[in-house]
Amino acid sequence: MTFGEFDEVATPMLHGMAEESTVVLDLSSLEYISSAGLRSIAKIRKSMRTRHGHTLLLNPQPQVRKVFDIVKAVPLNEVFSSVAELDDYLDRIQRKIVDGTDDDD
Amino acid sequence: MAMRSIASRLALWVLVGATLVVVAGGALLFRLVSQEILEHAHRESGALANDVGNRIQARLDKITDTAQMLAALVGPRPDDAQPLIHDAMQHNPDLAGLAAAYIPQSKAARASGQSPFVSRLDDGSLISRDLLQDPSPYWNRSWFRTGLTCVDGCWQPSFVSQSRHLRLVNYSSAIMVGGQAVGVVNADVTLEWLQGVLKGLNKPPGMEAFVIDQQGTYLANDDPGRIGRQAAPTLLDALEHGDIAPVRLTSRTEKPMWVYHAPIQGTHWQFGLAVPETRIYAGVRRAFLGALGVGALALLILAILMFAITRRIMKPLGVLTERAEQVARGALEFALPAVRQRDEIGRLTHAFDRMRRELAEHLAELTRTAREQQRLASELEIAHQIQTALLPGAHYLDARCSNFELHAVLLPARSVGGDLYSYFMLDDRRFYIMVGDVSDKGIPAALFMARAITLAKALAPRARSPERLLQLLNQELCRNNDGCMFVSLLCALLDTVSGNLVMASAGHEPPVLWGNDAPRLLEFDTGAALGLDEEATYPVQRLQLRPGETLLMYTDGITEAMDSALQMYGQERMLACLAGQEEAGDADPASLLVADVERFAAGHGQADDITVLALRWHHAGPERSASMLNLTITASIENVFDTLGRCDNALRSAGIESGVREDVRLVLEELMVNMVQHGYREPHDGKITLHLTMAEDAILIELHHDGQPFDPLQSPEPALSGDIADYEQEGGFGIHLVRVMASDFNYTHDGQGNHLQLRFIYPQRPEQDHDIQPAH
Repeated sequence: MTFGEFDEVATPMLHGMAEESTVVLDLSSLEYISSAGLRSIAKIRKSMRTRHGHTLLLNPQPQVRKVFDIVKAVPLNEVFSSVAELDDYLDRIQRKIVDGTDDDD
Repeated sequence: MAMRSIASRLALWVLVGATLVVVAGGALLFRLVSQEILEHAHRESGALANDVGNRIQARLDKITDTAQMLAALVGPRPDDAQPLIHDAMQHNPDLAGLAAAYIPQSKAARASGQSPFVSRLDDGSLISRDLLQDPSPYWNRSWFRTGLTCVDGCWQPSFVSQSRHLRLVNYSSAIMVGGQAVGVVNADVTLEWLQGVLKGLNKPPGMEAFVIDQQGTYLANDDPGRIGRQAAPTLLDALEHGDIAPVRLTSRTEKPMWVYHAPIQGTHWQFGLAVPETRIYAGVRRAFLGALGVGALALLILAILMFAITRRIMKPLGVLTERAEQVARGALEFALPAVRQRDEIGRLTHAFDRMRRELAEHLAELTRTAREQQRLASELEIAHQIQTALLPGAHYLDARCSNFELHAVLLPARSVGGDLYSYFMLDDRRFYIMVGDVSDKGIPAALFMARAITLAKALAPRARSPERLLQLLNQELCRNNDGCMFVSLLCALLDTVSGNLVMASAGHEPPVLWGNDAPRLLEFDTGAALGLDEEATYPVQRLQLRPGETLLMYTDGITEAMDSALQMYGQERMLACLAGQEEAGDADPASLLVADVERFAAGHGQADDITVLALRWHHAGPERSASMLNLTITASIENVFDTLGRCDNALRSAGIESGVREDVRLVLEELMVNMVQHGYREPHDGKITLHLTMAEDAILIELHHDGQPFDPLQSPEPALSGDIADYEQEGGFGIHLVRVMASDFNYTHDGQGNHLQLRFIYPQRPEQDHDIQPAH
């Protein structure tokens, strides 16, 4: 898939995202990224930011990881190497939210 | 030893001089005084002689008077003769005997009956006798005969009386009767009283008194042995001359003598005083010697005093001498003796002190200057070393490629100079050489040279072509160039594989090319020297080196070298020298040329820095690696991605691992997409050309694109915040990735467009068969 094609798919999906929602990008199958791809990811991140949401990246491949490192694309805590890691993270977040609301009661 | 000191010399010479003066003066005085003394002695002794003569005469007169009276009395009264005689004897002790001797048988004799003779005995008593009764007749004796003739009385020669053992002299006076001599009154006179008179004289010592009778016999003499003897003939001669003046007697045997004489009146006797001449002067001489002695002592004391005083005065000189020796050894700090007097020594001491102080200052000054100069010299030496370190070596032969060989020589005119040469590999394939000449000589030129040579090397990678390098270098050097210094530079870029040469010149001498043909100058258009005109541009000259050819670059120190006749070496001689190097074979052409120039200029010396760089092209080399991919596409995204795929395939079949391949792909994608999207102001069918080459340890890619100038290196770096979402301008990442991922990235732009050169180094080249990755 080229970046162009990706954008075409991603943009409408973004519009449908709720406030404070989280987008998870599964990069397991992405073997190569260039600046165009970076722009696409940037767009998603910007979009989610305006929604006060998060963009999480899952399992980037070596080349992608290298590129991310060079440009410092995302904060390290938003990159996860495995699904398990991601699930843990999400659970923790949910618990926080729940506890938070409980405290409010 | 004594002669070494001024004091002793002075004292000695003063002593000698004074002595001479004193002695001379003394001698002169002595002579004068001696004259006086002699005169005085003459007067004194003459007077004495006269006086004594008179006295003797007075005494003798008594006798002569008595005798004469007696003769006169006895004549008429012969009988009274005897008593008269007797009385006369008694009254006159000087008479030794008195006689009235008649001519025998004469009337008077008969009348008297005797010739009475009274004599005195030793005891003083008188006895008389009758001479007529004497056994020996008297009347035949000479005395009698002579006496008879002495009417007025006469003295007879002296004789020694046998009977009385005395020397006597007799005075005879004839008894006259009737005018006829009838007898003689004869008085015998002793001479002892005469001796006594002599003895009693108060005469100077050494003087001899004597009395001489008319025969020249000594009647009396200080030396009793001489009495009765004949005086010396010389003396008699002298006395005979009669005048009263003193007489100088000289004889061979005796010393000269002075004789003073006075005649005794009434007799023919002479009283004389004889004195050796030396005796007269004896007193004076003694006095003078005494004076001399005293004088000598005085002079000695004077000399000693003089010595002592002079030494005292000269003492400061001794100190000065010592100090002078100290100065000679280098010690300038000392005190000089205090100066009390303003005499020569005082002035000398002052002058010496001043000299010492000024010498010390002067020495300090000299030491400072020497140290300064030493420091400067050592700094110049260091500067020379630093400058030499800026230059690459004199000989270059590439280790991997023997296609060419380089020799260079640089001789500064002073310790540091303004000439430069440089060479370096620009990249794996291209080799820069350059020769330059800064205006002026010495330290300012050297500093400018250092700046130029360093800048050239720094700017070369960015410049990518000689003419562009000169432009950039020129712009840099024009900055802060208040001194208006400039440098001429000839710059060439050699393709070490093909032997292609690209040259540009900033006002520099044309290089020489020779090999198969005779040496010839490559004259071509040059730009202005660097550092003068910021906007200068530089024409390009291209050249293809054939095997065996040599390119020679040089500075005007070669062509403008002068000999003693002020003739320049010139281009003709240079070309001739290079032509003549055929026989030299493989020898270093740069050194040979420089040696020839040095021989030429030996009489005049080196006036300017000399630089020669000789590049010998041996042969073209095989391509170090075959070109892997070489294609030209129309600039479109589709073609770009197609090219990327082909590139990837080529690399994979070359065994390049995936990581490197991905890097290459990313970089190429970024660049080429950029070219397509931003390379043209108007819609344009641009062309992109790609060369992909493998080197031993790197992938070399050349991208050529005929769009507007765009230097990716000039793009600003994105501020990496850690989240790409932060970044506003989206295009920055691509270039950043390119810069990071490519090991080497170079950009040039010329009439044909943009030229990018990329290099990707990888640690090892894997085998062709391994690591074949599944196609992406």
